[in-house]
Amino acid sequence: MATPELMLSLGLIEKDVNADTLWVWCYPSIDADLREVMLRKCCLTLDNQVLHTFVFGQFCRTWYYITTVEVQEPTVLKKVTHFSIVVTAKDFNPEKYAAFSRVLCRTYMKHGSPVKMMEGYIAVLTKGICQSDENGSFLIKDYDVRKALLAGSLKDVVSQFGMETIILYTALMLKKRVVVYHPRIEALLEFTRALPCLVWHRKDWSILHPFVHLENDELENLKVCTGYVAGFVDPEVKDRSDLFDVFVNLPDSEITVSQNAKEAMSMGKLHKEIGNFIVQAAEDADRSDAQVIKDISVKTKEILSNLMSLADHADNSKLTLECLKQGHYPPATENFLFHLAAAEQLLKI
Amino acid sequence: MEEVDRILIHSLRQAGTDIDEDVQSVKQFTSELIVEAVVRCLRVIDPAVGNGLSHSLPPGMSARFRLGMSLAQACQDVGFKGEIGYQTFLYSNEPEIRSLFMFLVERLPRESAEASDQPAGKSVLLQRAIAAQIKAQLSVPWLPPTCRLPVHRKTQSSGPCHSFHAQPLSLPCSLKVSSRKQPKEVQEYWRNYLLPVTAQPSQPASVPASLLENHISELSAAQEWESEWNSQGLLSRLTPEEYRSRKKARLQKRIEEQLRTAAQPRPDTHGATRSTSDLAELLQSFGGASTGGDVLTKGTRFTHTEKFTFTQEPEKAVQQMAAAASALPSSQQSEEDLKAQQEAELSALQQQLQQLSVQMEEVGGGIKQLTVSIQQVTDELQTREVTNAERENSVKIKRQTIDLLPDAENNLLKLQSLVESSSKRVVQLASQWEKHRVPLIDEHRRLKELCSNRESESSRKLSEIKDLHDKIRQSAEEAKKKESLYKQLLTEFETLSKDVSRSAYTIRILEIVGNIKKQKEEITKILSDTKDLQKEINGLTGKLDRTFAVTDELVFKDAKKDESVRKSYKYLAALHENCTQLIQTIEDTGTIMREIRDLEEQIETENGKRTVSNLEKILEDYKAIRQENSALAAKIREG
Repeated sequence: MATPELMLSLGLIEKDVNADTLWVWCYPSIDADLREVMLRKCCLTLDNQVLHTFVFGQFCRTWYYITTVEVQEPTVLKKVTHFSIVVTAKDFNPEKYAAFSRVLCRTYMKHGSPVKMMEGYIAVLTKGICQSDENGSFLIKDYDVRKALLAGSLKDVVSQFGMETIILYTALMLKKRVVVYHPRIEALLEFTRALPCLVWHRKDWSILHPFVHLENDELENLKVCTGYVAGFVDPEVKDRSDLFDVFVNLPDSEITVSQNAKEAMSMGKLHKEIGNFIVQAAEDADRSDAQVIKDISVKTKEILSNLMSLADHADNSKLTLECLKQGHYPPATENFLFHLAAAEQLLKI
Repeated sequence: MEEVDRILIHSLRQAGTDIDEDVQSVKQFTSELIVEAVVRCLRVIDPAVGNGLSHSLPPGMSARFRLGMSLAQACQDVGFKGEIGYQTFLYSNEPEIRSLFMFLVERLPRESAEASDQPAGKSVLLQRAIAAQIKAQLSVPWLPPTCRLPVHRKTQSSGPCHSFHAQPLSLPCSLKVSSRKQPKEVQEYWRNYLLPVTAQPSQPASVPASLLENHISELSAAQEWESEWNSQGLLSRLTPEEYRSRKKARLQKRIEEQLRTAAQPRPDTHGATRSTSDLAELLQSFGGASTGGDVLTKGTRFTHTEKFTFTQEPEKAVQQMAAAASALPSSQQSEEDLKAQQEAELSALQQQLQQLSVQMEEVGGGIKQLTVSIQQVTDELQTREVTNAERENSVKIKRQTIDLLPDAENNLLKLQSLVESSSKRVVQLASQWEKHRVPLIDEHRRLKELCSNRESESSRKLSEIKDLHDKIRQSAEEAKKKESLYKQLLTEFETLSKDVSRSAYTIRILEIVGNIKKQKEEITKILSDTKDLQKEINGLTGKLDRTFAVTDELVFKDAKKDESVRKSYKYLAALHENCTQLIQTIEDTGTIMREIRDLEEQIETENGKRTVSNLEKILEDYKAIRQENSALAAKIREG
C-alpha cells in the first residue's frame, strides 16, 4: 500500500529575528497558492507565540503535514527563531509524516542546510528508508495506511455526544457538510479524523478538511466538494450558515442542524435503532475502536443491501422513488433512504 | 503722615463717606465725620453689624455716649485689637483715630481688584459689551413713536427685527467642493447662471443668517477634518486624498456589509425574497451612485434611501390600483346577479387554486428528486474525474513498464543505476543551489532588517511630528488666548477713568520706600559710628587704667625713699580721683539730657492729644448731662 511516490514535495519555512516568515526552500516545487495556504497554516505568521508542533490538513486533494520547531540552542541557524518543515503527499497518514518530519527537523537543526534534508527525502522516495543520525532509522513500511485511518477514536466521539452521534452518522451517510469548531487545533485534528470512520464502507478520507481558515481560496476549495468534514478554529464560522448543514460546537458539545438541511436530515425509527446500536457498541468497554468501527460498518452494509434489494434488477440495479414507495416505509425513513441512494449513487437518472 | 492720611481719605471716600475737599488730614476730622466714616466702613465690611448703627451723631449727649459705646463694641467685634471706647469717637485724638482707620481700611473687601486679575475670554468681553449696551439703552427713556429722534428709532422701533432664518446657499468656492475638480458644465453654471448670495434666499432678510450658517458649517467641517487628520490621518502615512478615498471605501464596505447581513434570507418569513431583491437593488444603486459622489457630504446615504423608498412605492401602487379598478364590476347590475356571479367565480377560483396546489406539490416533488439526482450526478462526475486522472497516470506508468518489459533484468539494472545517479545529481545540484540561495536569503534578511529599522525610525519621526503639531497647536492657542487677554486688558485700560491718583500713589509709595531705605542706611551708619566710639572709649579706659596702675606702682616704690616723690604720689592719687569724678559727671549729664528729650517727646504727644480742648469739651458735655439729668429729674417730679 504505502508506495513512496505518494510523497509530492518537501518545503521549508523559516521565521527570522525580524519576525518575518519566509518560504526559504522547497523540492521539487510547490505552487504559489499552496505556498500561501501553508504559510497561513504553519502558525509562524501569527503574532501570538502559540506553537503547534504538528498540524495537517488537505487542500485541493493534497495532504500537507507541517512540523514546527523553535530554534533554542545556538546552532548554525543564526538568524532563525522558528522553522517549519512542510511535507505534501497524496495519502492521509499523519503518524508516518510526523515521524518523517521529526527526523528531517533534527537533520536540519544539526546541519543547517536543506541538502542533507533532501538526501533523506530522496532516500525515502527511492528506497523507502531514511537513516537518522540518532534513534535508528525511519522505515516507511512501519506505517500502514489502515492504521492511520483507524487512529481516530470513535468511542470518544460517542462518549461525548451520546445519542446525538446519529446526527453525525446521518450527515456523513448523506454526504452532508459538517463543520466542527474548536479553538484548539490539536483537539480539532483529533476529533475530525475520527468522523470518516462512521462511513467506513466508503474509506473516503478526502472528505476530511481538519484545519480550514475562513479565507476565500480555502473556502472555494471546500465548496467544490459535495460533502465534507471541516474543522475551524475561528468562532466566526458559526455565523457562516452557507458553509454547513451540521455544525458541531466541540467545546460546548453541541450539534446544530441548519435550517435548509432539516428536511433531508429528518429522522425516524430507523435512526433511533442505529443510534442505539452505535451507543451500545461504543459503550462496551471490551470492544476496541476498530471493532466498533467494524460493527457500524456491518450495520451500514445491512442497510445498503436492503436498499439494493429494492432496486429494479432489470434496470442496471438502479433505484427510483417509485421503487422506494413500494417498500411502504414511514415517510422519514423513505426520505432518508432516498437521499442515501443518491449519496451512494444508486438512483436511476 | 500726610501720605497716609490722603490714602485713608481716598479709601474712605470710596467706601461712601462724604468728606469735604478741604479736609486734608486726619487731624481735621470732627467727631461727626469720624462716626460717619467708621459706620460706613463697618457697613461695607460686615453689613449685619453696620446696618444697626446710624451714621450721624444724635443731638442728645447720652444718646451720643451710647452710640460711642456701641461703635467701640462693633469695632472690637470686627477684630480691632487696640484700646477703644466711647472717648475714641467723642474726644478723639489723632493717633488713635488714625490707627482705627488704618485697620478699617485694611479690612475693606477688594473684590474689584481681584476680579480684574482673572483673564476673561472673548465671550466674557462680548457679554460685558452687551451688558454695557443694554444698560445704555435702558437708561434712555422710552418715547412714543412719534416723538422719537432718529437716534432712538434704531433701538426702540421693532421694524428691523427678523427671526433667524437660514437657507442653504450655493457657493462656487467652498471647502467641500474644490473648484478645480468640478466638471466644465458646473463651472460654466457658476460663471453664467448662479445668482449672487444676496439674491439666493427667498427673503432678503435671511441673507445674513444664511451666510452665518453657511460659514459656521464650513468652519466646523474644516475643524473636524483638521482634528481627524492630525489624530489618525497623519499616522496612516497617506496623502490627504488617499486617506479620504480609503475612508470612503471603508465606510461603503461597512454599510454594504450591514445591509447584506440584514438582508439574509430567512425561509420562515414571507415576502423575504421581495425585501432582499429590494435591498439588492439598493445595494447596487448605492455602489453605483456613491462612486461618483462625495462621501464627506453628509446625507448621501439618506438621500439614496429616500430615493429608493419614494420611487419604488408609487409605481407599484399605480399597478395595484389599475388591477383593482379593472376587477370592479359595473354597479348597474342587480345585486342578486352579482351575488350569484360572485359565488360562481369563487368556486371556480377555489377549484383553480386546488388544481394549482396539487400541481405545485407534484412539481415540488419532481424538483426535489431532480436536485437529489443532480447531486448524485455531480458527485459521481467528480469521483469519476478523480479516478480517471489516477487511471491515466497508472496507465502511463504501466505503458512505460511494458515498454521496458522485454529486457526486464537489464532494464531494471539500468533503471536502478539511473535512479541512483540522478538522485546523486539532484543532491549535487541542490548543494550548488545552496551556494546561491544562502547568500540571497541572508541578503533578504539584512535588507528586511534595514527596512524595519527604517520603518521604526520613520514612525519615531512621525510621532515626533505629531508631538510638534500638538505643540504648535498648543502654542497657537496660548498665543491666541494671550492676545485676547491683551486686547481685553487694553480695552479695560482705555475704559479706565484716567485716575492719576493711583499712579501717583504708587510713585509716592516707591519714593517713600526709597526714603526709608536711605534712612535705614543712615541709621546703620550712625549705629556703626556709635559702636566705633564705644570701642574707642573702652580702649581708652583700659589704657588709662593700665597706665595709672603702672605709674602708681612706680611712684609708690619711690615714695618710700623720697619725700618729694611721696608728694607727687599724693597729687597723682588726687588727680586720678578728680578725673574719675569728672567722667562720672559727664555721663550723668548725658543721661539727664536723654531724660529731658524723652520728657519733651512725651509732652509733645500729650499736646497732640488735644487734652485741653478735650477737657473743655468733657466739661461742657458733663454740664450738658447734668442739665439733662436735672431736667429729667424735674420732669419726674412734675410727673
